[in-house]
Amino acid sequence: MQWLYLYFPSLQLDSLLNQQAYHQPCVLVDKNKVLQANPEARQWGIKIGTGLAQAALLCAQLKVIAYDAKQEQRLLLQLAQRLYQTSATLYLDPPQGLLLQTSDMLRLYNGLDAYWQQLQQPLKERGLNYHYASAHSPLAAQVLARVGNDRLLKDQRQATKLLSQLPIHGAGLEYKLALQLERLGLNTLGQAQALPRSALGQRLGQNLVTYLQQLDTHSAPERSAYRPPEHFRQRLELLYEIEQSTALRFPLKRLLNDLEAFLGPRQLRVAGLSLGLEYREQNAERLHIGCSDGEYRGEAWLALCMLRLEQLQLQAPIIAISLNTKGQMPWAPLAAQLFEPPGGKLTPGQLISRLQNKLGDHAVQQVYLRDDHRPERSFYQGPPHSHYQTQPATIALRPSLLFALPQALGHKPNHQWCILSGPERIQSGWWDNVSICRDYFIARNPMGQICWLFRTPREEWFLHGYFS
Amino acid sequence: MASPDHRCQSSFYPNLDAHLQGGWPQTGLVELACGPMGIGELRLLLPLLAQAQSRLQVWINPPAELNGQALAQHGIDLSQTLLIRCQNPQQALWSAEQSLNSGCCSHLILWAPKLTAPQAKRLQVSAKDNQALIFWLNSQAEPSTSALPVSARLSLSPLATGLRLQIHKYQGQWPQHPCQVDMHALWPSLTVPSHRPTHLVKAPINNIVALPLQLR
Repeated sequence: MQWLYLYFPSLQLDSLLNQQAYHQPCVLVDKNKVLQANPEARQWGIKIGTGLAQAALLCAQLKVIAYDAKQEQRLLLQLAQRLYQTSATLYLDPPQGLLLQTSDMLRLYNGLDAYWQQLQQPLKERGLNYHYASAHSPLAAQVLARVGNDRLLKDQRQATKLLSQLPIHGAGLEYKLALQLERLGLNTLGQAQALPRSALGQRLGQNLVTYLQQLDTHSAPERSAYRPPEHFRQRLELLYEIEQSTALRFPLKRLLNDLEAFLGPRQLRVAGLSLGLEYREQNAERLHIGCSDGEYRGEAWLALCMLRLEQLQLQAPIIAISLNTKGQMPWAPLAAQLFEPPGGKLTPGQLISRLQNKLGDHAVQQVYLRDDHRPERSFYQGPPHSHYQTQPATIALRPSLLFALPQALGHKPNHQWCILSGPERIQSGWWDNVSICRDYFIARNPMGQICWLFRTPREEWFLHGYFS
Repeated sequence: MASPDHRCQSSFYPNLDAHLQGGWPQTGLVELACGPMGIGELRLLLPLLAQAQSRLQVWINPPAELNGQALAQHGIDLSQTLLIRCQNPQQALWSAEQSLNSGCCSHLILWAPKLTAPQAKRLQVSAKDNQALIFWLNSQAEPSTSALPVSARLSLSPLATGLRLQIHKYQGQWPQHPCQVDMHALWPSLTVPSHRPTHLVKAPINNIVALPLQLR
């Protein structure tokens, strides 16, 4: 079996800096030691392991970011998710490594070179620094990648030769063990490999023997291979704090591109996104962005998200954003789209989603009927396309425009009004405490408006609507 | 003479169709200056809306609740009806433009007090590009005097028989003398037949019905 190991020495820093062009020295620091540094910082003489105080002395404009092991783990998972589309079997090797089984994939890609081309694409897109090596065993590939071998070795003898030439301190052994070997006069890995295993085991412990054995073990590691998640969930930490909601466009676009890469090959679409905004000193906020028809394209989602974000007043600067999906469903081309008239760019569902995201859910409504004789209760407004309709409750003529609250007329219609029809008595609702007793008239007023009037038993007159 | 641009859709009022040489324009922006609401401006449109329901019909900012019972009575398919309420005029125009540009809206009824020439132009272009007809209803007694780029501009005034339409502009035609729309055939209980005098008839006193005694 053939194995490929990818090693990302500065995964978190590269992901942060990839958000935008940043050419200032920048380091990741954990426990007062520099863990990752960008090339600009290295030019100032800052190395991995340099103390924070010394680094600050070397470069005054140094940008210092705290290392976050959890975040790096998340980034590694995201990367695995992306690479899974190229390579079927892969193993996570936290914190900074990925192990890929290549022999099964070579037939698909017609050779190692084409396969490697495909693999490099997402790594370049993300601006990651990486080292790689391929070898006959997982451990050999790992050791070679970590020393920066950066070659695809097709032959086992080549790999073995390279391994045997490795200095003992670069072989990925524990520092103490490497020191013991060095004191025995073994300066390269090959010298240690040449000695009898049983003698080495007695003198230096079982760990070394296991290590040497694993260097030649072709089989897969014992842990389970990476399985992609069923639902999309991603978080993006921002290099800068964002203070304007519209500036979220660019980081959001990255997340949505990943969403598209997640949904597309699975032939899925989602009906809603939950966008989390993490504020600097306040609780995170979640926005729900809906699309009733379901959508998988990043660009369509970006347009909907921006409509919602334009309305938003940020409470504090944003330091990170996250994206979850809600309601995944299989993607099916809409049959109606085939026959729609020329110029049709959206389906009604897409139009409604767009309007709702801009105006709010309550601004876009559909009218539904209800079996009730009280005019103001005989219909209601609800979210569009619930596909529920009854027959009209009455065959008596009703006005097309109705006031939610009847307007007091203040006087009895005088001789200038022309009563066209009436009275129609509506007495209903005794069962739910909103009982009405009204005599309705249709009348034309002096201005020519055709009004729907009613009279209460107390001889008060109200205007309730217009036969517009 | 009938080029494809000037195709018409019937208004389902025979005398209006005859007067407009075919009816409403197929696409574009039609300004209706209605004066006070409730004189019959929707009755003028309902027969057309009831017939053309292959795509959405969008109502933006009606001045009161849109009574679903009345619409259903007149044969409007409520599942193809979208009601949008906006807080400010910009949003209303944005919604109108989005609805038109989506291509899934065939008729749009917009209540808006005023449009500027660029706004009217944008709506007109969106409607034409997407095969839609937009009716802009405003409460002015007379249409705006400035030359707005609209397909048709009419002002409405009430009559006992229906409506009196003054046609100020109709694309492809000369301004014409006023036209009377007889609504008695469709709304017999709201209008009087047209062979009676067409000015506003005064209410006969005996039309006012006394409330039954037991309720007083």
